[in-house]
Amino acid sequence: MPQIDLYKIFSEFDSGQIASIIYGNQLIEDNFPIDDPYTGAWGISTKTISIPACYRNTAFVNQEEETSTTDLPENQDPITQTTLLKREEDQVQELIFRIKRSKSICYREGLANRLLSLFNDAKEEDPDCLGIAAKSLRNFNNFLHLNTNLKCPTISLTPDYNIYASWKGEQGRVFSLHFLPNEDVRFVIFKPNDRHPERKIRVSGIATTDVLMETVMSYRIEEWISE
Amino acid sequence: MKGDQIPDPDHIARLCQPKHVPDGQIQASAFMLKSDEEGLSVNWLEFLECSSRDHEIAKIRNVYSLKFNRIGARATIAVINVGEVRERVLTESEDRRNLEVLHDPKEDGPPDPSHSEIYNLTQDDELIAELILETVHEAYPARH
Repeated sequence: MPQIDLYKIFSEFDSGQIASIIYGNQLIEDNFPIDDPYTGAWGISTKTISIPACYRNTAFVNQEEETSTTDLPENQDPITQTTLLKREEDQVQELIFRIKRSKSICYREGLANRLLSLFNDAKEEDPDCLGIAAKSLRNFNNFLHLNTNLKCPTISLTPDYNIYASWKGEQGRVFSLHFLPNEDVRFVIFKPNDRHPERKIRVSGIATTDVLMETVMSYRIEEWISE
Repeated sequence: MKGDQIPDPDHIARLCQPKHVPDGQIQASAFMLKSDEEGLSVNWLEFLECSSRDHEIAKIRNVYSLKFNRIGARATIAVINVGEVRERVLTESEDRRNLEVLHDPKEDGPPDPSHSEIYNLTQDDELIAELILETVHEAYPARH
């Protein structure tokens, strides 16, 4: 199997093209971790690199079992609410595991543990709930890989189990992102109004994840949420 | 009485579940509606006619322990002044939203006579949720 340097490949694209790759190819979306070889352009079957595994629902994400139960034919039972929920939970735990392994996220370990803690909090509150909405988490994961220079946000869950990420700064600065399951992000910005110190500028909007930081560039968010 | 507007000088309490309180800090997600909710559930503290905030919180904890199967260890009660939150949202929201805070006592299931709701919120109100969060000046553990 050829060795592929993903960082070298991505350095030849601009951020818009990378976003296009991410959103334009389900193959990549399902095998995205930026640390793994990108096989899509070479047409190599992803089946050869898929690692079916199940992860325990514990406070730590590095407890991997050696065998898979999810892909065995005897487990392909009729689709029921429980089965769908289990599949979504498996996706969530796999995504959290990818975040934990992702070398491009410098706070990956702490972030993965926080996500798993939130998942457990949600399950403790309602054992029949999603825990975390898998598509929202995938959207968040894509955002992190497109913006690798940001400080670790505070993460919480919305009532619909979507990821809500928030950065808070001096003078009441707020930058909060609600990661929707459809690749959109709703954002909120609070920042000081330099001409009227007693007032704040408050803005909200919606954008796709790939253009979000360009969209809010004029508010100079990156000056205070970047490492 | 059901439907009464809660006076501006009074206070309401909101139960913030652990998924809204990472690292012990209440987040704006605690003030967002579920997709099937019309209003944000709160409790009217002055309705309880207690002599102190501590007694009000103790009564609210009792109500929660009867209403919910489980209150997580990090669950937190946020206390908000009605007038302050209404004024903040009216003056700072993009559409000058006029929140209504109405008494809505619950008698089916465990009795919750001080139950109330904040109305005129929608599911895409992240900015208003952040404004509400700015008006939280008191927070208490939700467990005894």
